[in-house]
Amino acid sequence: MKEREKLRETLLKEIAKCRACRFCVDVCPTYQASTGVETLSAFGRLQAISYLLRRTLDFDDSLTYALYSCLQCRRCEIVCKSKGQNLEICELIALGRDLLSKPLAEGRSHERI
Amino acid sequence: MEMDLNMLRKDLAKISGEAHVFTDKPTSLVYAKDVMPYDVEAHNMPYAVVRPAGSQEISRILRYANEKKIPVHIHGSGTSLVGLARPKTNGIVLDMGRMTNIEVFPERGYFEVEPGLHVAKVRKVLAKHRAMLPAFPGSELVATIGGAVSVNTSAHAVDAALGKPGDYVLGLEVVLPTGEIIETGTQSTRRPAGIEVTKFLVGSEGLFCVLTKLRMRLIPQPEMENIVAYYRETDHILETVMEMYRQGIPAPLFFEFLDEKSARVGFDAVGLGLPEGAVAMMCIHSWSKAGCKEKAEKFLEFLQVGRPTQSKIVKDAQEWNKIWSSRAEAGNYIYRLGSTFGSEVTPRVDKLKEAFHDAKDAILNLKSYRNPDFYSFGHIGAPTIHAYAFIPSKDIPNEVKKAVVREVREVTEEINVKYGGCGGEWGLTAQRVSFLKKRYEAPYFQLLLNLKRALDPNNILNRGNLEGWV
Repeated sequence: MKEREKLRETLLKEIAKCRACRFCVDVCPTYQASTGVETLSAFGRLQAISYLLRRTLDFDDSLTYALYSCLQCRRCEIVCKSKGQNLEICELIALGRDLLSKPLAEGRSHERI
Repeated sequence: MEMDLNMLRKDLAKISGEAHVFTDKPTSLVYAKDVMPYDVEAHNMPYAVVRPAGSQEISRILRYANEKKIPVHIHGSGTSLVGLARPKTNGIVLDMGRMTNIEVFPERGYFEVEPGLHVAKVRKVLAKHRAMLPAFPGSELVATIGGAVSVNTSAHAVDAALGKPGDYVLGLEVVLPTGEIIETGTQSTRRPAGIEVTKFLVGSEGLFCVLTKLRMRLIPQPEMENIVAYYRETDHILETVMEMYRQGIPAPLFFEFLDEKSARVGFDAVGLGLPEGAVAMMCIHSWSKAGCKEKAEKFLEFLQVGRPTQSKIVKDAQEWNKIWSSRAEAGNYIYRLGSTFGSEVTPRVDKLKEAFHDAKDAILNLKSYRNPDFYSFGHIGAPTIHAYAFIPSKDIPNEVKKAVVREVREVTEEINVKYGGCGGEWGLTAQRVSFLKKRYEAPYFQLLLNLKRALDPNNILNRGNLEGWV
């Protein structure tokens, strides 16, 4: 349990480095495939994880469509490295999935997978 | 007001289709979160995000919003640095991201574009026609052309060389806040003289209308020559800019600079040797190669007035690429090291040096955070002073972030008031209303309120931006 709490802190600290420049948005293949829904971008996913971990947001049925739609292709990381804050975004999303999966599994049905 | 989200979702879906309406919380959050460093709060969260396909749908959404008295916040890509993009109240977010058509008409001398297309993509399309887009935001990979024209910002470009995007807008299609679709302007390259609506809708920051189509003149792509100049200290660059205007020297298209500390960060980031002082970089433009070469040589000659330690025309594209990128990279890397809090001071040009030092003093003497570092870089030739407070940590409480943002804004507002400027890049309403009130007399602000009321009687569009809400 303690380890998960530590992981949570690290994850929040890393995501807090995001400057919201949104350069990672346009390169995300799921953002492109959705004709531009920002929730389906690296930026969107990091925000969702951050607010969920801090419990500012309630868990929501449609969270999974944001978090689990990431293809882990790392295009966002290339942009973040050259123009942003050099975050390992895919790693952070994977960690976020890990930390949030349990409460999600206990939640209601997912309407938007 | 308790909002029936299911009802709202159904009603909006009737207009734009179910696939384009979102009422889930992650989506509401993402469209509420902007560059402002503090957290999104409950009152910022939209009830719904709707992604219309065109002006007819927007018209219906706005009529519906007026009927139900629900505020509508327009969203381009959310890259505003002064809080324009964050909704100030619960409502409907109108995401323009599906409206991305562009058509170029070389034989008519203009192009037409929908507002949601990203600036870099507009530039790419125009380049095929050897035309230049007169807007250069640092965020162009994702910022929308609609946003740039809504704020009427050419961003990095020097106004004296190019003007603002609005100077190239020939006409618009817009939806008024009450839902009427109107067309303004002309299809001629001859812009209307006299009273004409286009000019006050351009730059209206989403308060007066929703832009749905822009018609802009094609500007022939100029030839460019690039100059770099190294100085012992920033003051010499400031003196050069003042002298450029005093002598009536044609301004470069770009006239950027890095102060002593930023120069080291930026040059280090791109792998260039560290400069000893401040650095200025200029792009000279002209419509012929020979003309450009002559202009650059003359400008280099003029630059000696500021006693650079070294100055040259940079011919090697790779070398220039590094020098030029060091400016943008300085911003990225400084932020990587901690948190930056920016400002925009645009003084009367003969007061540039005094204003710069006032800004520096103001930043170094903040009360909300003791002893921050001072960095400055940017479009000094415009002239714009971006004075940054730097705090070497990202772990700052939300309330402190808010307080620093507010104080940096307030102290730099005073400098704009003192030296007769008002900002020329980031937009003037969202979170800057206190400045408008300080800078101008009460009747001026009342005029803005009257205009808003005349066009938007229910205060539907971007509610809170003209009221100074956060």
